[in-house]
Amino acid sequence: MTLLQVRGVTKEFVTRGEGTMARRSTFTAVDDVSFEVELGETLAIVGESGSGKSTTARIAARLLEPTAGTVVFDGQDVTKARGRELATFRNNVQVVFQDPFSSLNPRYTVERIVTAPLTYQGITPKGGRRAFTQELMERVGLNPDHCRRYPAQFSGGQAQRIGIARALAVNPKLVICDEAVSALDVSIQAQVLELLMRLQRESGFSYVFIAHDLAVVRQISQRVAVMNRGRIVEVGTRDQVFGDPQDEYTKTLLAAVPRINPEWDARRRGKEAS
Amino acid sequence: MSDELFVVDNLTVTLPTSRGPVDVVKNVSFTVGRDETVGIVGESGSGKSMTALAVLGLLPRGARTSGSVRLDGAELLGRSDRDLRSVRGNAISMVFQDPLSSLNPYYTVGLQISEMYRTHRGGSRSAARKVAIEALERVHIPDAARRVDHYPHQFSGGMRQRVMIAMALCCSPSLLIADEPTTALDVTVQAQILELLGELQSTTGTGMMFITHDLAVISSIAQRVLVMQSGDPVEYGTAEQVFSAPRHEYTRMLLDAVPRIDDEVLS
Repeated sequence: MTLLQVRGVTKEFVTRGEGTMARRSTFTAVDDVSFEVELGETLAIVGESGSGKSTTARIAARLLEPTAGTVVFDGQDVTKARGRELATFRNNVQVVFQDPFSSLNPRYTVERIVTAPLTYQGITPKGGRRAFTQELMERVGLNPDHCRRYPAQFSGGQAQRIGIARALAVNPKLVICDEAVSALDVSIQAQVLELLMRLQRESGFSYVFIAHDLAVVRQISQRVAVMNRGRIVEVGTRDQVFGDPQDEYTKTLLAAVPRINPEWDARRRGKEAS
Repeated sequence: MSDELFVVDNLTVTLPTSRGPVDVVKNVSFTVGRDETVGIVGESGSGKSMTALAVLGLLPRGARTSGSVRLDGAELLGRSDRDLRSVRGNAISMVFQDPLSSLNPYYTVGLQISEMYRTHRGGSRSAARKVAIEALERVHIPDAARRVDHYPHQFSGGMRQRVMIAMALCCSPSLLIADEPTTALDVTVQAQILELLGELQSTTGTGMMFITHDLAVISSIAQRVLVMQSGDPVEYGTAEQVFSAPRHEYTRMLLDAVPRIDDEVLS
């Protein structure tokens, strides 16, 4: 079942020109982008800075309005949704951001942060907020006894788990991860990726996973869209895009990824396997 | 060994904190030979950047150091700030992660490079300007004679990092300290900068201390590797040994955590 359809989305920003006689001009950040996300799958959107991947994610999350094009969620055109319609959409689509500390209110306890999406909807969870929070914390691998602590009392990886718990509070059908593991140390990153994949297996929702790191994308996604200068230059299954890239830019991107010397790596893993 | 360019011997750095002094670097030892790149790798809080700052005498106020840091046999630790100023940018220079915050937005890049040169080498403004243009050419900035009069914001991120490298190399240092120099760059630009650093090293023979959290980057640039964890040196050896036969559990864990792009098998 197709969960999300982004059709012909374009986003222009008005920029101030250079110099004293500055003339305003428009910059096209996203240029006629279309893609679909099936229920339960992970679509990664990968690209370098300025490729338009985050703008695309923000449009899909209805955090930005596109200049042209439509966003269809669950069969409903939500491009211009307001009021109750938008509230329903927000109940189904959640976002996890890159920097956990700037996306968590430092003055709120974990309990208040995690239940905030429910509070906005005027819902009180069954069994109370405390029990609800503690259950979610357990699901994302946090100590439930810490539900009255503040974000600053957690490490970066733990704070990102709080952000993930908040996204899951409304039981969404789609979670948009915008560089959600980019700021984390490699060992923590591996754990959070593992968590994201486990949660998807448990609950069957979809991810739109925005990232610049191709190796991370390869681990988590089933399908991959490669963006360059506002356009999707290539989209396909993970194995197609990584194993047999068609577009020149995709090939350049893949070739540029630094690799651990494959011979050394194979020797180490051979030894450790035996 | 006497032919070692740069020797760090039992370096310990202690920082004062509200809970008393903390050793952020503990008994770290390594050497960098001429022409050689030594990679220092670790996660955040491992002490890798503190090691670099200690070498240059740029530690925060109140920091204490012990051990020995020698360049060409001369002790650097404990030297006065004034003394070290003639070393920094001259015999040892540094390239940081974020070129935008290391460059002064009010001055042209040419002026900043020539200032650096004249501080250490003296000479006329026009001679220093020529040095700046040559330096920009060496790092392959197209149209260097015109670009020398541009301001930092007129360069892209990758080009800015090239400017930083040009500035770092204008006094022909014997040691270059690169602290996460490609971390803020896009992967295609990163590949270009790594290639540039390798090329410049082979032509100038500068020793390099390359600090990064990225093991794949280390693998492609360093001959020797020091792995650090919470201030401790956990493993030190040739790149081949560390990557193919790591002795320490932490190194193995780090290597296992790196997502691979070419693996056949995926879970």
